[in-house]
Amino acid sequence: MARKRGRGMAACWYGIARTATIDRAAAWAEIDDGGSAKIVTGVTEIGEGILTVLAQIAAHEIGVKPEHVVIGDNDTARAPEAAHAGASRQTYMIGNVVALASREARKRLVDVMAEMWDVSAETIHTGNGEIWAENTNHRISMGEAVACAKNRGVVPIGSATFGTDTTGIADGKGGDGSGRPWQAYVFGCQVAEVEVDTITGEVQVLAVWAAHDVGRAVNPQGVEGQIEGGIVQAIGQGLMEDYQLKDGHTSTSGFAKYILPTSLDVPRVNSIIIEDPDPIGPLGVKGIGEPAMVPTIPAVMNAIYDAVGVRVFDLPATPEKILLAMREKARREAATSMQAAE
Amino acid sequence: MVDIRLNATINGRKVSRDAKPHLRLLDFLRDDLNLTGNKEGCGAGECGTCSVFVDGVLMKSCLMPVAKAQGATVDTIESLAKSGELSVLQKAFHKAGASQCGYCIPGMVMAATAALRANPFADREEIKERLGGNICRCTGYQKIFDAVELARDVQNGRLPSTALLETDTADGDVIGKSVRRIDAPSKVSGRLKYAGDMIMPGMLHVQVLRSPHAHARIVSIDTSAALAIAGVESVITSADVPGKDGFGVFVHDQPIMARDKVRYVGEAVAAVAAEDALTAKRAVAAIKVVYEPLAPVFDPDEAMREGAAIVHDYAPDNITKHIPIRVGDVEAGFAESDLVIEENYSTQAIEHAYLEPEAGLAYIDHDDVVTVVSPSQNITHHRHMLARIIAKPISKVRFIMSPVGGGFGGKEDMIYQGMLALLAMKTMRPVRLVYTREESIISTAKRHPSRTTLRMGVTRDGRIKALAMRMVCDGGAYGLSTEGVMRKAAILAAGPYNIPNVRIDTFGIYTNNTPSGAFRSFGALQTQFATESHLDIIAERLGLDPFEIRRINAMRDGATTHTKQKLGSVSLMRALDAAEQASNWEAGAPTVRGPTRGDLGHDDVRPSVTLGARFAADDKQEAAE
Repeated sequence: MARKRGRGMAACWYGIARTATIDRAAAWAEIDDGGSAKIVTGVTEIGEGILTVLAQIAAHEIGVKPEHVVIGDNDTARAPEAAHAGASRQTYMIGNVVALASREARKRLVDVMAEMWDVSAETIHTGNGEIWAENTNHRISMGEAVACAKNRGVVPIGSATFGTDTTGIADGKGGDGSGRPWQAYVFGCQVAEVEVDTITGEVQVLAVWAAHDVGRAVNPQGVEGQIEGGIVQAIGQGLMEDYQLKDGHTSTSGFAKYILPTSLDVPRVNSIIIEDPDPIGPLGVKGIGEPAMVPTIPAVMNAIYDAVGVRVFDLPATPEKILLAMREKARREAATSMQAAE
Repeated sequence: MVDIRLNATINGRKVSRDAKPHLRLLDFLRDDLNLTGNKEGCGAGECGTCSVFVDGVLMKSCLMPVAKAQGATVDTIESLAKSGELSVLQKAFHKAGASQCGYCIPGMVMAATAALRANPFADREEIKERLGGNICRCTGYQKIFDAVELARDVQNGRLPSTALLETDTADGDVIGKSVRRIDAPSKVSGRLKYAGDMIMPGMLHVQVLRSPHAHARIVSIDTSAALAIAGVESVITSADVPGKDGFGVFVHDQPIMARDKVRYVGEAVAAVAAEDALTAKRAVAAIKVVYEPLAPVFDPDEAMREGAAIVHDYAPDNITKHIPIRVGDVEAGFAESDLVIEENYSTQAIEHAYLEPEAGLAYIDHDDVVTVVSPSQNITHHRHMLARIIAKPISKVRFIMSPVGGGFGGKEDMIYQGMLALLAMKTMRPVRLVYTREESIISTAKRHPSRTTLRMGVTRDGRIKALAMRMVCDGGAYGLSTEGVMRKAAILAAGPYNIPNVRIDTFGIYTNNTPSGAFRSFGALQTQFATESHLDIIAERLGLDPFEIRRINAMRDGATTHTKQKLGSVSLMRALDAAEQASNWEAGAPTVRGPTRGDLGHDDVRPSVTLGARFAADDKQEAAE
């Protein structure tokens, strides 16, 4: 058979939010006229879907529909600091702080209605754009409730800040690296199934099963999107991408020479979402952007070994390297059998 | 050259106007007609984000001279949802979560539209082939295939059109539901404006002069000829920086344009703002720089040796950052081990290849606030750094994060925003810079290439007794995120395993190569590649299943990490169990048993691809008919 299949696996761990420093983020929330929610925070979308996640969180906390959440963001002069878009920190840092700010805005509104209805605030519920008091006939729309609050001189707003209880690590001269770099850790494991063409050396990754702890999945489709995208980027690094330099000059300055995964290179990704809630933040969420990439390459390299008995130690595992390794292996085996024959 | 008179039908309307003959169809659509829905991703026909229909045929508009569109019917992404109502395919992209950053999506929607026009019953494998000319860097393509299949089935009546709508969330709790992305409609329709799509009245265009040398002293820069060109408003060099120059995520070692010397090929040396991009390019070509080449250093191990060229005076050993992790006594751990294995691993530099090349606008607002609009992943830190560089209070610096067309860490560096701010201050006009793909690749950060030596000792029953790892990374010419990458790489290097004796050293090294910086998975990818490969090598030697050797050593609830942090809940065992069960893993030691495995080729595995196989089959069928 010219094509041989094999499987490999690898595990991973990752820290969520900024490393070995105190991370922080802030947000403002307002329940607006008409009963929509307005969220303002300093940094959001880089494609991962955080705007939708924040809309879901605000909707959940305030009791409106996600499509009735307006997000103003990404402006150092008009929004509170939320630090940066990276470090797998968006859902954890900004998601949690939006939840806290939304809770405060909701509390302002609920307190007004409790006074108006002469009920205790604990008996008031919100959801789906409505606010009501249990065991009463009191039930009005959020828009009406906002009007009530404003007639009493109250604008239902909230603000919050969320920081991590983390430290630097002892990485100075003579240090042992000890410290508390993150407060939330995630773990994951992937299995890869590959097919290696023994004539061309080409590797196809046919499937990846990816199990990742995300704390709590706010939007499962978005989590899958992060896992699928991360795996394909890792396959790019594992099998084909190579930024080449000679004397400081690159020979791969365009996509004709710098080879990227296309639709024909990608595996079927089967995602398994694990929810081990973070006990510190108000939502239980953690993160997924970066950890999704970590186990893929070793899982694929282990699978190639399983298929054809060669291991690539220097990435990428190009067809040329696979073929060379297979040839060397055959030579070694022939030499061994010769010796055995003697 | 004289302008041409172009007559064409564009998105159903007659267009008759003059066009510069050097323009590509893409430039004409985007710059002259302000149809910015289709993007430029590579300028070379490789990425497909500029795809439009010309006389009904899918074309990459970056490859087509505008004159070739004479008399043609051209349809852009804007033609698909003209009244604001999304097409079935666009709705399917929305529903399936097929857009992430959105930058490739207009081209992807065009290609998918073409695919379903060519074969309304195309199966998933044919859809993949028909999308083969379009690159997406975010999604991994899977949800794009899902979207095209969904649209196909709705179009063919196999699914009702309600399949495209939001899943009902009437029960109130929206957390845990796959709510459709709120930003998808503007992405699938091309309406979302990225920085390179934005224009302001009176806007100038910026071009950058870049270093042809990896390491050279700048003897002189003469900008007089460039300034003399009509239409040139300003030329800046590092001499124009009013404050304390220097940016970087950890150490501020990089000037916004090269100061006194250049340290890598592609480093910015000067920048020009002119009435149009072509004039700015001519002015860049007219800047005269005299360089005195210096001995370069390209190899990080060589750079660490005595006598190597020094890239930054402040770091005479060329070490940007060394991170140590120490637990127990590794030599004692190796002595207790039944098996000790050492191997070398290496990983290469890779490019983020976000489909949106860097772009930005800057202007001075009515309150004298220097405002920079760009797809920056770190506007908070950028404003701190820029305030110092341009010697203004932080309140007079404003960063607005434009929609990011892919970042992956590559847009955390303030690599061009300083030049934009300075040119806006010099000209008191809005200025815009849009990188070409080549400029983006040569001048911005890469993932750190690494060389790792890993030595691991285990007992016969598979317990890891000791791990020693030394990783040397090429950080390139400037610090950027190197310090943080080395730190995260080291902290996570040994994997989620209980190991009593650990010695890890990661080194980020200055060289005269393209700088390395933040890249998704930030060092942990490099070190865990080595550790997880190594575990399989050891598992084979010990006759243990790969899951088993990991379970034997797995951190569990309450474990202490290699930085001596006590953890609470540890979900590793759950992840191992879940992946093992979902994949129907057949247990056994990794002894090249692929050919004998019984767990291969299930339903949740895609078919393997043989290029051209479908076409060969079609030909055969036609011949038979």
